[in-house]
Amino acid sequence: MKESNEQETVLHARNVHKTYGSKGGAQQVLKGIDLRVLRKEFVGIMGPSGSGKTTLLNVLATIDRASDGAIFIDNEDISTMSSAALSAFRRNKLGFIFQDYNLLDTLTVKENILLPLSLGKISKQRAEREFTAIAEVLGIRDLAHKYPYEISGGQKQRTAAGRALIHQPSIVFADEPTGALDSKSASSLLSVMDEVNRNRGVTIIMVTHDPVASSYCNRVVFLKDGKIYSELYRGEKSRQSFFKDIIDVQAVLGGDHIDGI
Amino acid sequence: MTVFDLALRSMRQNVKQYYLYFFALIFSMSLFFVFASLQHDTQVQRLLESSVNFSAAFQSAAVLLVVIIGIFTMSSNRIFLRRRSREIGLYQLIGLSKGWAARYLLMENLLLGLGALFAGILCGALISRLFVLILLELLHLDGMPAIDFSLPAAIETTFVFILVAVITSVQIITMIYRSTLLHLFQADRQPDLSSQSPTILTAIYAVLGIVLIGYGYELSGRMVDEQLVMNALLVMAATITGTYILFRVTIRWCFTWLRRRKNGHLGLYNSLSLAPLMHRMKGNANSLTLITVLSALTITLVTMAYSFYYSAEQDTRMAIPYDFTFENNPQDAQAFTADLESSGIPFKHYTVEAVRTTGVIHNPLDPADSREGSLLWLPAEQLQRAGGQLSVPAFGEAVEYDAWAQNAYDDIDLSGRYPTLIDLQSESQTKSYVLKELKVENLVNFDISGKQLAVSEATLDEIARRMSGTEHFEKVQIAAYLISDQAELALASSLYEKYRPDQYTATDFYSSYQTTLQTSGLLIFIAAFLGLSFLASTGSILYFKQMTEAEQEKQSFRTLRQLGFDEKMIMKGIMRKQMVVFLLPLCIGMLHSFFAVRAASFMIISDITIPTIISVGVYAAIYILFALFTLGYYRQVVNKALLL
Repeated sequence: MKESNEQETVLHARNVHKTYGSKGGAQQVLKGIDLRVLRKEFVGIMGPSGSGKTTLLNVLATIDRASDGAIFIDNEDISTMSSAALSAFRRNKLGFIFQDYNLLDTLTVKENILLPLSLGKISKQRAEREFTAIAEVLGIRDLAHKYPYEISGGQKQRTAAGRALIHQPSIVFADEPTGALDSKSASSLLSVMDEVNRNRGVTIIMVTHDPVASSYCNRVVFLKDGKIYSELYRGEKSRQSFFKDIIDVQAVLGGDHIDGI
Repeated sequence: MTVFDLALRSMRQNVKQYYLYFFALIFSMSLFFVFASLQHDTQVQRLLESSVNFSAAFQSAAVLLVVIIGIFTMSSNRIFLRRRSREIGLYQLIGLSKGWAARYLLMENLLLGLGALFAGILCGALISRLFVLILLELLHLDGMPAIDFSLPAAIETTFVFILVAVITSVQIITMIYRSTLLHLFQADRQPDLSSQSPTILTAIYAVLGIVLIGYGYELSGRMVDEQLVMNALLVMAATITGTYILFRVTIRWCFTWLRRRKNGHLGLYNSLSLAPLMHRMKGNANSLTLITVLSALTITLVTMAYSFYYSAEQDTRMAIPYDFTFENNPQDAQAFTADLESSGIPFKHYTVEAVRTTGVIHNPLDPADSREGSLLWLPAEQLQRAGGQLSVPAFGEAVEYDAWAQNAYDDIDLSGRYPTLIDLQSESQTKSYVLKELKVENLVNFDISGKQLAVSEATLDEIARRMSGTEHFEKVQIAAYLISDQAELALASSLYEKYRPDQYTATDFYSSYQTTLQTSGLLIFIAAFLGLSFLASTGSILYFKQMTEAEQEKQSFRTLRQLGFDEKMIMKGIMRKQMVVFLLPLCIGMLHSFFAVRAASFMIISDITIPTIISVGVYAAIYILFALFTLGYYRQVVNKALLL
């Protein structure tokens, strides 16, 4: 891998503000966020409840619009796009993993995973190959024809991960992906995400309140009161020592990291 | 706070949730009130007294109406209760007893019902006047209707309300006492998701559904015989059961097969149509069957009634080709001619010299079944001169004319009975004539007795020569009148009245036509009224059901929007689903009614293609309106889906 490739910016947010409500009772949730994410990075966003991390993710993921500021993904300015263009953009360039899976419960695992390919121009053979490869990595090949209600939470979340990856998006956004999982399923999902990030070079931006989860990242961004408080890079550290660093920052950050535990 | 207060309060807050159920109740109540008002209207009552058929028709329509109101309120109450099951569960979760929840819901139901009763009567009182106007217009009766608020109608409506209130209360009580808390919290998201593969048994069932329907159709084509009632019941049982199996098993089976072939590559549109449909088919089989059967019933009813009305003139004309006739009564004919002339009514007058004999007509299908009867031999040449559209048969040949032939025999297909032979027995020998074919119309008015047989004048002369002197031989002189100006028909008919041989049955064209028109006018009014109620009920049931499904699928829509599928794409998939949900029962219902109308069409002489197309078209158009409403609701849900 070349150095220049490694340094390519895939997402660039400049001075992003988000305000909810009208003038009188307006509540500023994001107060000027600057963030640059490089291709193949695995970035964690942490912060106490109310710090704006989910709002930031929604704004970056084009599900919500910023009140002010500019966001570039793949050098396209998404803050000026029409909502139809945004839909197309999400469909083609982004992948999503949600806390409560958001699988369609009338579709099988395979049907759920193949959904993002449905309106593209990908041949059935290629889609099939793509599915087999991803299901293999995620360890859900045998579940292809099961319905969501027949499988465990961890398996559901891997299905969701498969759906987020199948169309080879530029960025995968994950919103508390381990929030509803037991620790064993959580760590196995995180390992899979780590593996996908390393081997397939997928850029991942993950919101989490769990220091264990964020210790899998290359970099963790801490938010406080709608602003970036600090950043931690893992570098060559082991996961364990990175985990300790994260805990330390969290202690300084105060707030409550109890909100989901 | 008392239960009463809470019920009142929650009603005010939840009008949006309630308005559909409330609307359904109001609609039912006003519908019945209008119907009851009509029944008690003096003008309509005078009509009813004039004919036993009228009041019988009205009474059976009232029963049907109550039945449909019952079905409708039950279905909408069930849907409504399911939508609120979480709320009911919540009451119990915070420690209120089942008894309390039941009392609360019953109170609320009663309040809603009473509100609907008053609103319904009010609406009904306002529009019943309009309905009487339509009725009188259809019956061609003049005079402004003076319909006042009808107290007896209000009382009857109240009785229906009590019936509805009792039914829905029982529903509420059983629902509350039967369901567990878990049930209540899951009731709104329960598609059937079993992924077990279809067995051989399912396949057998799937085929059985189609076989049953096919059998019903086949039997309907030959059911008009001695066991008509038995056959009709059998046809209905077979088609209804078949329809149910079709929805519950066959269609689901087809969907499963289709889906399996996709092998996971379902795509967005099928994910929004095929998948949810497949999982809800089992639960929806009941209502889809109900809707199909009601659609079939309505279309058949309306089509038949409209066809009667539409073909009233033509059918009457086929049975009564001449406006007036006199048989062997030259004095009266002459007097009538004088009457017409003195009134200045332009007319054409013809005289036809025919003979009447007895004879035997053979049945080529069954040699033992030969019928002896009175035969009226009519000279074709003279009839041609008298304006008749017929060709002259060859010497020794006859053509039978009978407008009601389809009612005369048990079998509908009469072609096997022709050509055949007619034996005429004179003193010494028997001579046979060829009866070539049957034409479904009359040559002379039906009151001139005897089977109408057209022959050439030469044949007629021979028959008269050979048969004169036999026991039943008779020369028949027919004086026939055609009034040139249709506007003078009513006046002419009143002049004819004093010569009428039978004071009770009208034999002239105009009087018969008026009677038919009134009967069929009333028939079409009742049919349209019932049809409209059925249609509104079926449409509403589907609409309510789809609304609930839309709510249940909200999360899916949101996920899809987040994944980057825009509203248009999602709506395209939903449209596909709605096509199936609405069009499947409509098409199957239309197919059912096609066979039903075909089986019943022997009652009408004229071709009924045009009235059939018109009534089916009107039905489908109103029905599609409900589909459009539903799509509008879905669009709203999809639109709002992305808002958190």
